Amino acid sequence: MNEKTRFMLALITPAALVLILFQVVPILTGADASFRDWTLHDPKRTWVGFANYLHVLRDAEFRDIVLPNTFGFMIATVACSLVLGLAIALMLNNRFPGRWLVQSFVLLPLMVAPVIAAIMIRWMFNDQFGVVNAALEGLGLAPISWLTQRWTTFAVILLTDVWLWTPWFALILLAGLQSLPPEPFEAARIDAASAWRTFRYITLPMLRPVMVVCIVIRAIDAFRTFDIVWTISGGGPARATELFSIYAYVEAFQFLNLARGSAAAVIGAIVIVVFALLLYRVLNRFVEVSK
Amino acid sequence: MTDIAAAPARSVGFFFALAPRGKAVFFALAATAVCLLFAFPVFWLILTSLRTGTGVYYVHRGTEFTTDNFHEVLSQEIVLRALFNSFMISTLATVLSLGVTATSGYMLSRFKGPIPNAWFSLIYIFRCVPYVAWVLPLYFVTQKLHIFDSYWGLLLPHIAVHICFFSWIMKGFFDGIDPSMEYAAMIDGCSRWGAFWRVAMPAAVPGLTALAILCWLYTWNEFLFALILTAHETPILTVVMAQFVHELGMEWHLMSATAVIALVPALIVTLFGQRYVIRGLRI
Repeated sequence: MNEKTRFMLALITPAALVLILFQVVPILTGADASFRDWTLHDPKRTWVGFANYLHVLRDAEFRDIVLPNTFGFMIATVACSLVLGLAIALMLNNRFPGRWLVQSFVLLPLMVAPVIAAIMIRWMFNDQFGVVNAALEGLGLAPISWLTQRWTTFAVILLTDVWLWTPWFALILLAGLQSLPPEPFEAARIDAASAWRTFRYITLPMLRPVMVVCIVIRAIDAFRTFDIVWTISGGGPARATELFSIYAYVEAFQFLNLARGSAAAVIGAIVIVVFALLLYRVLNRFVEVSK
Repeated sequence: MTDIAAAPARSVGFFFALAPRGKAVFFALAATAVCLLFAFPVFWLILTSLRTGTGVYYVHRGTEFTTDNFHEVLSQEIVLRALFNSFMISTLATVLSLGVTATSGYMLSRFKGPIPNAWFSLIYIFRCVPYVAWVLPLYFVTQKLHIFDSYWGLLLPHIAVHICFFSWIMKGFFDGIDPSMEYAAMIDGCSRWGAFWRVAMPAAVPGLTALAILCWLYTWNEFLFALILTAHETPILTVVMAQFVHELGMEWHLMSATAVIALVPALIVTLFGQRYVIRGLRI
Protein backbone atom coordinates (compact mmCIF):
# COMPACT_ATOMS: atom_id res chain seq x y z
CA MET A 1 0.00 0.00 0.00
CA ASN A 2 1.60 3.23 -1.07
CA GLU A 3 1.51 6.56 0.71
CA LYS A 4 -1.29 7.96 -1.47
CA THR A 5 -3.61 5.02 -0.78
CA ARG A 6 -2.91 5.29 2.95
CA PHE A 7 -3.82 8.97 2.82
CA MET A 8 -7.07 8.24 0.95
CA LEU A 9 -8.08 5.55 3.44
CA ALA A 10 -7.18 7.75 6.40
CA LEU A 11 -9.44 10.49 5.02
CA ILE A 12 -12.49 8.24 4.92
CA THR A 13 -11.79 6.05 7.98
CA PRO A 14 -13.76 8.09 10.57
CA ALA A 15 -16.76 8.39 8.25
CA ALA A 16 -16.57 4.74 7.25
CA LEU A 17 -16.42 3.57 10.88
CA VAL A 18 -19.53 5.51 11.88
CA LEU A 19 -21.29 4.44 8.69
CA ILE A 20 -20.56 0.75 9.25
CA LEU A 21 -21.41 0.71 12.93
CA PHE A 22 -24.57 2.81 12.80
CA GLN A 23 -25.95 2.11 9.36
CA VAL A 24 -24.57 -1.09 7.87
CA VAL A 25 -24.78 -3.14 11.06
CA PRO A 26 -28.37 -2.09 11.86
CA ILE A 27 -29.49 -2.74 8.28
CA LEU A 28 -27.97 -6.22 8.36
CA THR A 29 -29.57 -6.86 11.76
CA GLY A 30 -32.93 -5.85 10.31
CA ALA A 31 -32.43 -8.00 7.23
CA ASP A 32 -31.58 -10.95 9.47
CA ALA A 33 -34.73 -10.37 11.53
CA SER A 34 -36.86 -10.41 8.38
CA PHE A 35 -36.05 -14.11 7.84
CA ARG A 36 -37.08 -15.14 11.34
CA ASP A 37 -40.24 -15.64 13.35
CA TRP A 38 -39.68 -12.55 15.47
CA THR A 39 -42.66 -10.88 17.10
CA LEU A 40 -42.00 -8.35 19.85
CA HIS A 41 -44.11 -10.20 22.44
CA ASP A 42 -42.73 -13.64 21.57
CA PRO A 43 -39.26 -13.41 19.98
CA LYS A 44 -38.67 -17.08 19.05
CA ARG A 45 -36.17 -16.07 16.37
CA THR A 46 -36.54 -19.34 14.47
CA TRP A 47 -35.54 -19.26 10.80
CA VAL A 48 -38.59 -19.18 8.50
CA GLY A 49 -37.02 -18.33 5.13
CA PHE A 50 -39.07 -16.11 2.87
CA ALA A 51 -42.38 -16.58 4.72
CA ASN A 52 -42.48 -12.95 5.88
CA TYR A 53 -41.71 -11.65 2.41
CA LEU A 54 -44.44 -13.78 0.87
CA HIS A 55 -46.89 -12.59 3.47
CA VAL A 56 -46.13 -8.93 2.73
CA LEU A 57 -46.23 -9.39 -1.04
CA ARG A 58 -49.56 -11.26 -0.83
CA ASP A 59 -51.07 -8.68 1.52
CA ALA A 60 -53.79 -6.83 -0.40
CA GLU A 61 -53.15 -3.74 1.77
CA PHE A 62 -49.53 -3.62 0.64
CA ARG A 63 -50.17 -4.43 -3.03
CA ASP A 64 -53.29 -2.40 -3.72
CA ILE A 65 -52.93 0.56 -1.37
CA VAL A 66 -49.39 1.03 -0.07
CA LEU A 67 -47.51 0.61 -3.35
CA PRO A 68 -49.80 2.84 -5.48
CA ASN A 69 -49.87 5.41 -2.64
CA THR A 70 -46.09 5.49 -2.34
CA PHE A 71 -45.40 5.88 -6.04
CA GLY A 72 -48.36 8.20 -6.58
CA PHE A 73 -47.17 10.38 -3.72
CA MET A 74 -43.61 10.39 -4.99
CA ILE A 75 -44.58 11.41 -8.53
CA ALA A 76 -47.17 13.97 -7.44
CA THR A 77 -45.00 15.72 -4.86
CA VAL A 78 -41.94 15.89 -7.13
CA ALA A 79 -43.99 17.15 -10.10
CA CYS A 80 -45.87 19.81 -8.11
CA SER A 81 -42.81 21.10 -6.24
CA LEU A 82 -40.74 21.15 -9.44
CA VAL A 83 -43.26 23.20 -11.42
CA LEU A 84 -44.02 25.58 -8.55
CA GLY A 85 -40.34 25.84 -7.61
CA LEU A 86 -39.35 26.63 -11.18
CA ALA A 87 -42.01 29.33 -11.41
CA ILE A 88 -40.81 30.92 -8.17
CA ALA A 89 -37.17 30.67 -9.26
CA LEU A 90 -37.97 32.44 -12.54
CA MET A 91 -39.79 35.14 -10.61
CA LEU A 92 -36.93 35.63 -8.13
CA ASN A 93 -34.45 35.75 -10.99
CA ASN A 94 -35.82 39.23 -11.84
CA ARG A 95 -34.87 42.35 -9.97
CA PHE A 96 -37.86 43.94 -8.32
CA PRO A 97 -38.47 45.90 -5.12
CA GLY A 98 -39.11 43.60 -2.16
CA ARG A 99 -37.28 40.67 -3.74
CA TRP A 100 -35.29 40.13 -0.55
CA LEU A 101 -38.51 39.90 1.43
CA VAL A 102 -40.11 37.39 -0.94
CA GLN A 103 -36.96 35.29 -0.82
CA SER A 104 -37.07 35.29 2.99
CA PHE A 105 -40.64 34.03 2.95
CA VAL A 106 -39.74 31.36 0.42
CA LEU A 107 -36.82 30.26 2.59
CA LEU A 108 -38.96 29.90 5.70
CA PRO A 109 -40.49 26.41 5.11
CA LEU A 110 -37.02 24.96 4.58
CA MET A 111 -36.13 25.83 8.15
CA VAL A 112 -39.34 24.54 9.71
CA ALA A 113 -39.27 21.03 11.18
CA PRO A 114 -41.53 18.68 9.17
CA VAL A 115 -43.25 17.68 12.41
CA ILE A 116 -44.11 21.32 13.14
CA ALA A 117 -45.30 21.81 9.55
CA ALA A 118 -47.52 18.75 9.82
CA ILE A 119 -48.98 19.97 13.10
CA MET A 120 -49.66 23.43 11.62
CA ILE A 121 -51.38 22.07 8.52
CA ARG A 122 -53.37 19.55 10.52
CA TRP A 123 -54.59 22.35 12.78
CA MET A 124 -55.53 24.47 9.76
CA PHE A 125 -57.51 21.59 8.25
CA ASN A 126 -59.21 20.63 11.53
CA ASP A 127 -62.82 19.88 10.57
CA GLN A 128 -64.47 21.84 13.41
CA PHE A 129 -62.07 24.64 14.33
CA GLY A 130 -59.74 24.82 11.34
CA VAL A 131 -59.22 28.06 9.48
CA VAL A 132 -59.73 26.40 6.08
CA ASN A 133 -63.25 25.29 6.92
CA ALA A 134 -63.96 28.67 8.50
CA ALA A 135 -62.92 30.26 5.20
CA LEU A 136 -65.13 27.85 3.24
CA GLU A 137 -68.08 28.73 5.44
CA GLY A 138 -67.31 32.41 4.98
CA LEU A 139 -67.54 31.88 1.22
CA GLY A 140 -70.90 30.16 1.69
CA LEU A 141 -69.57 26.68 0.93
CA ALA A 142 -70.13 23.55 2.98
CA PRO A 143 -67.24 22.62 5.32
CA ILE A 144 -65.32 19.48 4.39
CA SER A 145 -64.14 16.91 6.92
CA TRP A 146 -60.70 16.73 5.37
CA LEU A 147 -59.11 13.98 7.39
CA THR A 148 -61.87 11.38 7.24
CA GLN A 149 -61.74 10.51 3.55
CA ARG A 150 -58.94 8.93 1.61
CA TRP A 151 -58.42 11.43 -1.20
CA THR A 152 -58.86 14.62 0.83
CA THR A 153 -56.42 13.29 3.45
CA PHE A 154 -54.01 12.39 0.67
CA ALA A 155 -54.37 15.90 -0.75
CA VAL A 156 -53.62 17.50 2.64
CA ILE A 157 -50.50 15.36 3.06
CA LEU A 158 -49.42 16.22 -0.47
CA LEU A 159 -49.99 19.91 0.20
CA THR A 160 -47.81 19.74 3.32
CA ASP A 161 -45.01 18.05 1.44
CA VAL A 162 -45.21 20.51 -1.46
CA TRP A 163 -45.21 23.39 1.04
CA LEU A 164 -42.08 22.00 2.68
CA TRP A 165 -40.14 21.22 -0.48
CA THR A 166 -41.10 23.79 -3.13
CA PRO A 167 -38.65 26.30 -1.56
CA TRP A 168 -35.85 23.79 -1.87
CA PHE A 169 -36.51 23.42 -5.60
CA ALA A 170 -36.94 27.18 -5.98
CA LEU A 171 -33.64 28.09 -4.32
CA ILE A 172 -31.56 25.45 -6.08
CA LEU A 173 -33.08 26.29 -9.47
CA LEU A 174 -32.55 29.98 -8.74
CA ALA A 175 -28.86 29.31 -8.06
CA GLY A 176 -28.81 27.34 -11.32
CA LEU A 177 -30.44 30.20 -13.23
CA GLN A 178 -27.98 32.72 -11.83
CA SER A 179 -24.98 30.65 -12.86
CA LEU A 180 -26.10 30.36 -16.51
CA PRO A 181 -23.90 32.28 -18.96
CA PRO A 182 -25.55 35.53 -20.16
CA GLU A 183 -24.48 35.32 -23.83
CA PRO A 184 -27.28 33.04 -25.18
CA PHE A 185 -29.86 35.29 -23.53
CA GLU A 186 -28.32 38.39 -25.07
CA ALA A 187 -28.31 36.69 -28.47
CA ALA A 188 -31.96 35.75 -28.03
CA ARG A 189 -32.81 39.33 -27.11
CA ILE A 190 -31.01 40.68 -30.16
CA ASP A 191 -32.98 38.20 -32.29
CA ALA A 192 -36.16 39.48 -30.59
CA ALA A 193 -37.14 36.03 -29.34
CA SER A 194 -40.31 36.00 -27.26
CA ALA A 195 -40.10 35.34 -23.52
CA TRP A 196 -41.74 31.94 -23.93
CA ARG A 197 -39.39 30.81 -26.68
CA THR A 198 -36.36 32.04 -24.73
CA PHE A 199 -37.57 30.00 -21.77
CA ARG A 200 -38.47 26.93 -23.81
CA TYR A 201 -35.37 26.77 -26.02
CA ILE A 202 -32.64 28.36 -23.88
CA THR A 203 -33.45 28.39 -20.17
CA LEU A 204 -35.01 24.96 -19.92
CA PRO A 205 -32.32 22.98 -21.81
CA MET A 206 -29.51 24.78 -19.98
CA LEU A 207 -31.17 24.21 -16.63
CA ARG A 208 -31.80 20.52 -17.28
CA PRO A 209 -28.76 19.11 -15.40
CA VAL A 210 -29.73 20.96 -12.21
CA MET A 211 -33.33 19.86 -12.59
CA VAL A 212 -32.36 16.22 -13.02
CA VAL A 213 -30.23 16.28 -9.86
CA CYS A 214 -33.10 17.90 -7.92
CA ILE A 215 -35.60 15.35 -9.17
CA VAL A 216 -33.38 12.39 -8.30
CA ILE A 217 -32.60 13.57 -4.77
CA ARG A 218 -36.16 14.57 -4.03
CA ALA A 219 -37.73 11.42 -5.51
CA ILE A 220 -35.57 9.21 -3.33
CA ASP A 221 -36.41 11.25 -0.23
CA ALA A 222 -40.13 11.35 -1.06
CA PHE A 223 -40.20 7.56 -1.26
CA ARG A 224 -39.32 7.25 2.43
CA THR A 225 -41.59 10.03 3.75
CA PHE A 226 -42.62 9.21 7.27
CA ASP A 227 -43.07 12.02 9.77
CA ILE A 228 -45.61 14.22 8.01
CA VAL A 229 -47.91 11.31 7.16
CA TRP A 230 -47.56 9.96 10.67
CA THR A 231 -48.37 13.31 12.27
CA ILE A 232 -51.23 14.26 9.92
CA SER A 233 -53.16 11.04 9.46
CA GLY A 234 -51.22 8.17 11.06
CA GLY A 235 -51.83 6.37 7.76
CA GLY A 236 -55.60 6.62 8.22
CA PRO A 237 -58.50 6.75 7.67
CA ALA A 238 -58.55 2.94 7.91
CA ARG A 239 -54.95 2.60 6.59
CA ALA A 240 -55.97 4.27 3.31
CA THR A 241 -53.08 6.76 3.15
CA GLU A 242 -50.28 4.50 4.34
CA LEU A 243 -46.99 4.91 2.52
CA PHE A 244 -44.45 2.14 2.61
CA SER A 245 -42.50 3.52 5.64
CA ILE A 246 -45.73 3.76 7.61
CA TYR A 247 -46.70 0.22 6.60
CA ALA A 248 -43.37 -1.14 7.87
CA TYR A 249 -43.66 0.86 11.09
CA VAL A 250 -47.26 -0.22 11.72
CA GLU A 251 -46.44 -3.88 11.11
CA ALA A 252 -43.47 -3.69 13.48
CA PHE A 253 -44.84 -1.51 16.29
CA GLN A 254 -48.63 -1.74 16.23
CA PHE A 255 -48.98 -5.37 15.19
CA LEU A 256 -45.72 -6.01 17.08
CA ASN A 257 -44.38 -8.19 14.29
CA LEU A 258 -40.79 -7.03 13.94
CA ALA A 259 -39.99 -9.66 11.31
CA ARG A 260 -42.84 -8.68 9.01
CA GLY A 261 -42.07 -4.97 9.42
CA SER A 262 -38.42 -5.63 8.61
CA ALA A 263 -39.41 -7.67 5.55
CA ALA A 264 -41.53 -4.76 4.30
CA ALA A 265 -38.65 -2.36 5.00
CA VAL A 266 -36.22 -4.57 3.07
CA ILE A 267 -38.62 -4.83 0.12
CA GLY A 268 -38.94 -1.04 0.10
CA ALA A 269 -35.18 -0.62 0.40
CA ILE A 270 -34.56 -2.96 -2.55
CA VAL A 271 -37.18 -1.20 -4.68
CA ILE A 272 -35.72 2.24 -4.01
CA VAL A 273 -32.08 1.18 -4.39
CA VAL A 274 -32.81 -0.40 -7.78
CA PHE A 275 -34.75 2.72 -8.73
CA ALA A 276 -31.88 4.90 -7.49
CA LEU A 277 -29.31 2.94 -9.48
CA LEU A 278 -31.36 3.40 -12.64
CA LEU A 279 -31.64 7.11 -11.86
CA TYR A 280 -27.91 7.21 -11.18
CA ARG A 281 -27.24 6.22 -14.79
CA VAL A 282 -29.57 8.95 -16.01
CA LEU A 283 -27.89 11.38 -13.65
CA ASN A 284 -24.40 10.41 -14.79
CA ARG A 285 -25.34 11.08 -18.39
CA PHE A 286 -26.26 14.65 -17.48
CA VAL A 287 -23.76 15.73 -14.85
CA GLU A 288 -21.07 13.08 -14.32
CA VAL A 289 -21.49 12.92 -10.55
CA SER A 290 -18.95 10.16 -10.05
CA LYS A 291 -16.25 11.91 -12.02
CA MET B 1 -44.45 64.75 -41.37
CA THR B 2 -45.11 65.17 -37.70
CA ASP B 3 -48.28 63.11 -38.00
CA ILE B 4 -46.45 60.18 -39.52
CA ALA B 5 -43.80 60.27 -36.82
CA ALA B 6 -46.30 60.75 -34.03
CA ALA B 7 -48.54 57.82 -34.92
CA PRO B 8 -46.10 55.01 -34.31
CA ALA B 9 -44.67 56.83 -31.33
CA ARG B 10 -48.11 57.02 -29.83
CA SER B 11 -48.85 53.37 -30.43
CA VAL B 12 -45.51 52.31 -28.99
CA GLY B 13 -46.11 54.59 -26.05
CA PHE B 14 -49.51 53.04 -25.59
CA PHE B 15 -48.11 49.53 -25.26
CA PHE B 16 -45.21 50.67 -23.13
CA ALA B 17 -47.58 52.45 -20.85
CA LEU B 18 -49.72 49.37 -20.46
CA ALA B 19 -47.30 46.47 -20.63
CA PRO B 20 -44.77 47.41 -17.92
CA ARG B 21 -47.57 48.22 -15.52
CA GLY B 22 -49.33 44.98 -16.42
CA LYS B 23 -46.10 43.16 -15.75
CA ALA B 24 -45.57 45.04 -12.50
CA VAL B 25 -49.10 44.25 -11.33
CA PHE B 26 -48.64 40.62 -12.24
CA PHE B 27 -45.35 40.55 -10.34
CA ALA B 28 -46.83 42.18 -7.29
CA LEU B 29 -49.72 39.72 -7.27
CA ALA B 30 -47.49 36.70 -7.76
CA ALA B 31 -45.04 37.87 -5.08
CA THR B 32 -47.85 38.48 -2.60
CA ALA B 33 -49.37 35.07 -3.34
CA VAL B 34 -46.02 33.37 -2.80
CA CYS B 35 -45.43 35.20 0.49
CA LEU B 36 -48.92 34.34 1.73
CA LEU B 37 -48.62 30.71 0.71
CA PHE B 38 -45.39 30.18 2.59
CA ALA B 39 -45.87 32.47 5.56
CA PHE B 40 -49.51 31.91 6.42
CA PRO B 41 -49.19 28.54 8.25
CA VAL B 42 -46.35 29.93 10.38
CA PHE B 43 -48.28 33.13 11.05
CA TRP B 44 -51.28 31.05 12.07
CA LEU B 45 -49.17 28.97 14.43
CA ILE B 46 -47.81 32.09 16.13
CA LEU B 47 -51.34 33.50 16.41
CA THR B 48 -52.59 30.27 17.98
CA SER B 49 -49.74 30.30 20.50
CA LEU B 50 -50.90 33.73 21.71
CA ARG B 51 -54.44 32.59 22.50
CA THR B 52 -55.91 31.39 25.77
CA GLY B 53 -56.79 27.70 26.13
CA THR B 54 -60.44 28.25 25.21
CA GLY B 55 -59.86 31.08 22.74
CA VAL B 56 -57.88 28.71 20.53
CA TYR B 57 -61.05 27.24 19.07
CA TYR B 58 -62.25 30.60 17.87
CA VAL B 59 -58.85 31.82 16.85
CA HIS B 60 -60.23 33.46 13.71
CA ARG B 61 -62.77 35.52 15.67
CA GLY B 62 -61.65 36.77 19.11
CA THR B 63 -59.23 39.56 19.86
CA GLU B 64 -57.96 38.35 23.22
CA PHE B 65 -54.20 37.72 23.33
CA THR B 66 -51.93 36.39 26.06
CA THR B 67 -48.34 35.27 26.61
CA ASP B 68 -49.33 32.86 29.40
CA ASN B 69 -48.80 29.84 27.16
CA PHE B 70 -45.10 30.63 26.90
CA HIS B 71 -44.80 31.09 30.67
CA GLU B 72 -46.61 27.81 31.24
CA VAL B 73 -44.50 25.89 28.77
CA LEU B 74 -41.19 27.36 29.96
CA SER B 75 -42.02 26.65 33.61
CA GLN B 76 -41.98 22.92 32.90
CA GLU B 77 -38.69 21.32 33.77
CA ILE B 78 -38.85 18.78 30.94
CA VAL B 79 -39.17 21.51 28.30
CA LEU B 80 -36.13 23.34 29.67
CA ARG B 81 -34.11 20.12 29.75
CA ALA B 82 -35.26 19.28 26.22
CA LEU B 83 -34.22 22.73 24.99
CA PHE B 84 -30.78 22.28 26.52
CA ASN B 85 -30.38 18.72 25.16
CA SER B 86 -31.54 19.63 21.68
CA PHE B 87 -29.11 22.54 21.64
CA MET B 88 -26.19 20.41 22.81
CA ILE B 89 -26.94 17.52 20.44
CA SER B 90 -27.36 19.83 17.45
CA THR B 91 -24.10 21.65 18.21
CA LEU B 92 -22.06 18.52 18.85
CA ALA B 93 -23.52 16.72 15.84
CA THR B 94 -22.67 19.71 13.64
CA VAL B 95 -19.04 19.85 14.77
CA LEU B 96 -18.49 16.11 14.49
CA SER B 97 -20.39 15.63 11.21
CA LEU B 98 -18.51 18.43 9.50
CA GLY B 99 -15.18 17.12 10.77
CA VAL B 100 -15.91 13.65 9.47
CA THR B 101 -17.44 14.63 6.13
CA ALA B 102 -14.91 17.33 5.23
CA THR B 103 -12.17 14.69 4.94
CA SER B 104 -14.46 12.27 3.15
CA GLY B 105 -15.65 14.93 0.68
CA TYR B 106 -12.06 16.09 0.09
CA MET B 107 -11.07 12.54 -0.73
CA LEU B 108 -13.97 12.18 -3.19
CA SER B 109 -13.07 15.45 -4.85
CA ARG B 110 -9.31 15.07 -5.19
CA PHE B 111 -8.77 11.42 -6.04
CA LYS B 112 -9.83 9.08 -8.82
CA GLY B 113 -9.74 5.33 -9.02
CA PRO B 114 -11.36 2.25 -7.51
CA ILE B 115 -11.31 3.37 -3.85
CA PRO B 116 -13.08 6.74 -4.34
CA ASN B 117 -15.52 5.07 -6.75
CA ALA B 118 -16.35 2.33 -4.26
CA TRP B 119 -16.77 4.86 -1.46
CA PHE B 120 -18.99 7.04 -3.61
CA SER B 121 -21.21 4.11 -4.61
CA LEU B 122 -21.45 3.07 -0.97
CA ILE B 123 -22.62 6.45 0.28
CA TYR B 124 -24.95 6.84 -2.71
CA ILE B 125 -26.65 3.51 -1.96
CA PHE B 126 -26.83 4.09 1.79
CA ARG B 127 -28.31 7.51 1.27
CA CYS B 128 -31.22 5.82 -0.54
CA VAL B 129 -31.97 3.20 2.11
CA PRO B 130 -35.17 4.25 3.89
CA TYR B 131 -34.72 5.31 7.53
CA VAL B 132 -37.34 2.83 8.66
CA ALA B 133 -35.06 -0.02 7.57
CA TRP B 134 -32.42 0.90 10.15
CA VAL B 135 -34.14 2.80 12.91
CA LEU B 136 -35.62 -0.20 14.68
CA PRO B 137 -32.52 -2.43 14.58
CA LEU B 138 -30.56 0.68 15.66
CA TYR B 139 -32.55 0.54 18.88
CA PHE B 140 -31.07 -2.90 19.61
CA VAL B 141 -27.58 -1.88 18.48
CA THR B 142 -27.44 1.19 20.76
CA GLN B 143 -28.71 -0.89 23.68
CA LYS B 144 -26.06 -3.51 23.06
CA LEU B 145 -23.39 -0.77 23.02
CA HIS B 146 -24.89 0.67 26.26
CA ILE B 147 -25.33 4.10 24.72
CA PHE B 148 -29.13 4.01 24.40
CA ASP B 149 -30.80 7.18 25.74
CA SER B 150 -27.49 9.05 26.04
CA TYR B 151 -25.86 11.82 24.01
CA TRP B 152 -23.62 9.40 22.14
CA GLY B 153 -26.54 7.10 21.35
CA LEU B 154 -28.26 9.89 19.45
CA LEU B 155 -25.17 11.72 18.16
CA LEU B 156 -23.53 8.83 16.35
CA PRO B 157 -26.64 7.77 14.38
CA HIS B 158 -27.17 11.43 13.46
CA ILE B 159 -23.63 11.63 12.13
CA ALA B 160 -24.26 8.42 10.17
CA VAL B 161 -27.32 10.08 8.59
CA HIS B 162 -25.29 13.13 7.64
CA ILE B 163 -22.28 11.29 6.22
CA CYS B 164 -23.91 10.20 2.98
CA PHE B 165 -25.41 13.50 1.95
CA PHE B 166 -22.79 15.88 3.32
CA SER B 167 -19.88 14.00 1.76
CA TRP B 168 -21.56 14.63 -1.56
CA ILE B 169 -22.04 18.34 -0.85
CA MET B 170 -18.48 18.68 0.51
CA LYS B 171 -17.19 17.09 -2.69
CA GLY B 172 -18.99 19.88 -4.53
CA PHE B 173 -17.32 22.54 -2.37
CA PHE B 174 -13.85 21.13 -2.90
CA ASP B 175 -14.53 20.67 -6.65
CA GLY B 176 -15.01 24.43 -6.76
CA ILE B 177 -11.58 25.07 -5.25
CA ASP B 178 -8.61 25.01 -7.58
CA PRO B 179 -6.24 22.22 -6.44
CA SER B 180 -3.14 23.85 -7.91
CA MET B 181 -2.54 25.73 -4.64
CA GLU B 182 -2.33 22.42 -2.82
CA TYR B 183 0.12 21.04 -5.39
CA ALA B 184 2.22 24.18 -4.96
CA ALA B 185 2.18 23.72 -1.18
CA MET B 186 3.24 20.09 -1.56
CA ILE B 187 6.09 21.03 -3.89
CA ASP B 188 7.22 23.50 -1.23
CA GLY B 189 7.47 20.64 1.23
CA CYS B 190 4.01 20.51 2.76
CA SER B 191 2.66 17.04 3.56
CA ARG B 192 -0.67 15.84 2.10
CA TRP B 193 -2.30 16.48 5.44
CA GLY B 194 -0.73 19.91 5.58
CA ALA B 195 -2.03 20.73 2.09
CA PHE B 196 -5.51 19.60 3.11
CA TRP B 197 -5.53 21.35 6.47
CA ARG B 198 -3.70 24.59 5.69
CA VAL B 199 -4.67 25.20 2.06
CA ALA B 200 -7.91 23.42 1.13
CA MET B 201 -9.79 23.82 4.44
CA PRO B 202 -9.41 27.63 4.76
CA ALA B 203 -10.62 27.98 1.17
CA ALA B 204 -13.68 25.86 1.98
CA VAL B 205 -14.72 27.94 5.02
CA PRO B 206 -17.66 29.74 3.32
CA GLY B 207 -19.11 26.40 2.23
CA LEU B 208 -18.46 24.88 5.64
CA THR B 209 -20.27 27.74 7.39
CA ALA B 210 -23.28 27.24 5.17
CA LEU B 211 -23.33 23.51 5.74
CA ALA B 212 -22.86 24.00 9.48
CA ILE B 213 -26.02 26.11 9.67
CA LEU B 214 -28.03 23.57 7.71
CA CYS B 215 -26.64 20.65 9.68
CA TRP B 216 -27.49 22.35 12.96
CA LEU B 217 -31.06 22.95 11.82
CA TYR B 218 -31.52 19.43 10.43
CA THR B 219 -30.48 17.96 13.77
CA TRP B 220 -32.60 20.43 15.72
CA ASN B 221 -35.65 19.52 13.58
CA GLU B 222 -35.11 15.77 13.47
CA PHE B 223 -37.87 13.63 14.94
CA LEU B 224 -37.78 9.91 14.11
CA PHE B 225 -34.32 9.10 15.51
CA ALA B 226 -34.95 11.16 18.63
CA LEU B 227 -38.26 9.40 19.14
CA ILE B 228 -36.86 5.91 19.00
CA LEU B 229 -33.37 6.35 20.46
CA THR B 230 -34.13 8.47 23.55
CA ALA B 231 -36.26 8.00 26.64
CA HIS B 232 -36.52 9.85 29.99
CA GLU B 233 -32.81 10.55 30.48
CA THR B 234 -32.35 12.68 27.36
CA PRO B 235 -35.60 14.42 26.37
CA ILE B 236 -35.42 16.08 22.94
CA LEU B 237 -37.53 19.08 21.98
CA THR B 238 -39.33 17.66 18.93
CA VAL B 239 -40.31 14.53 20.87
CA VAL B 240 -41.48 16.50 23.91
CA MET B 241 -43.53 18.67 21.58
CA ALA B 242 -45.15 15.66 19.94
CA GLN B 243 -45.97 14.29 23.39
CA PHE B 244 -48.19 17.29 24.08
CA VAL B 245 -50.49 15.82 21.45
CA HIS B 246 -50.87 12.50 23.17
CA GLU B 247 -50.66 13.18 26.90
CA LEU B 248 -52.73 16.33 27.08
CA GLY B 249 -55.24 15.47 24.36
CA MET B 250 -54.34 18.13 21.77
CA GLU B 251 -53.75 21.24 23.85
CA TRP B 252 -53.28 23.35 20.77
CA HIS B 253 -52.28 26.53 22.64
CA LEU B 254 -49.41 24.85 24.55
CA MET B 255 -48.34 22.88 21.51
CA SER B 256 -48.21 25.99 19.39
CA ALA B 257 -46.21 27.84 22.05
CA THR B 258 -43.65 25.02 22.19
CA ALA B 259 -43.56 24.89 18.39
CA VAL B 260 -42.94 28.64 18.22
CA ILE B 261 -40.04 28.30 20.69
CA ALA B 262 -38.66 25.47 18.53
CA LEU B 263 -39.02 27.75 15.50
CA VAL B 264 -36.87 30.56 16.93
CA PRO B 265 -33.54 29.31 15.49
CA ALA B 266 -35.22 28.80 12.12
CA LEU B 267 -36.54 32.37 12.16
CA ILE B 268 -33.14 33.74 13.17
CA VAL B 269 -31.44 31.89 10.33
CA THR B 270 -34.08 33.02 7.84
CA LEU B 271 -33.54 36.63 8.87
CA PHE B 272 -29.77 36.77 9.24
CA GLY B 273 -28.24 33.70 7.62
CA GLN B 274 -29.99 33.63 4.24
CA ARG B 275 -26.82 34.08 2.24
CA TYR B 276 -25.14 31.13 3.93
CA VAL B 277 -28.12 28.80 3.65
CA ILE B 278 -28.54 29.43 -0.04
CA ARG B 279 -24.87 28.72 -0.56
CA GLY B 280 -25.16 25.52 1.46
CA LEU B 281 -28.00 24.21 -0.67
CA ARG B 282 -25.85 24.14 -3.77
CA ILE B 283 -25.46 20.59 -5.03
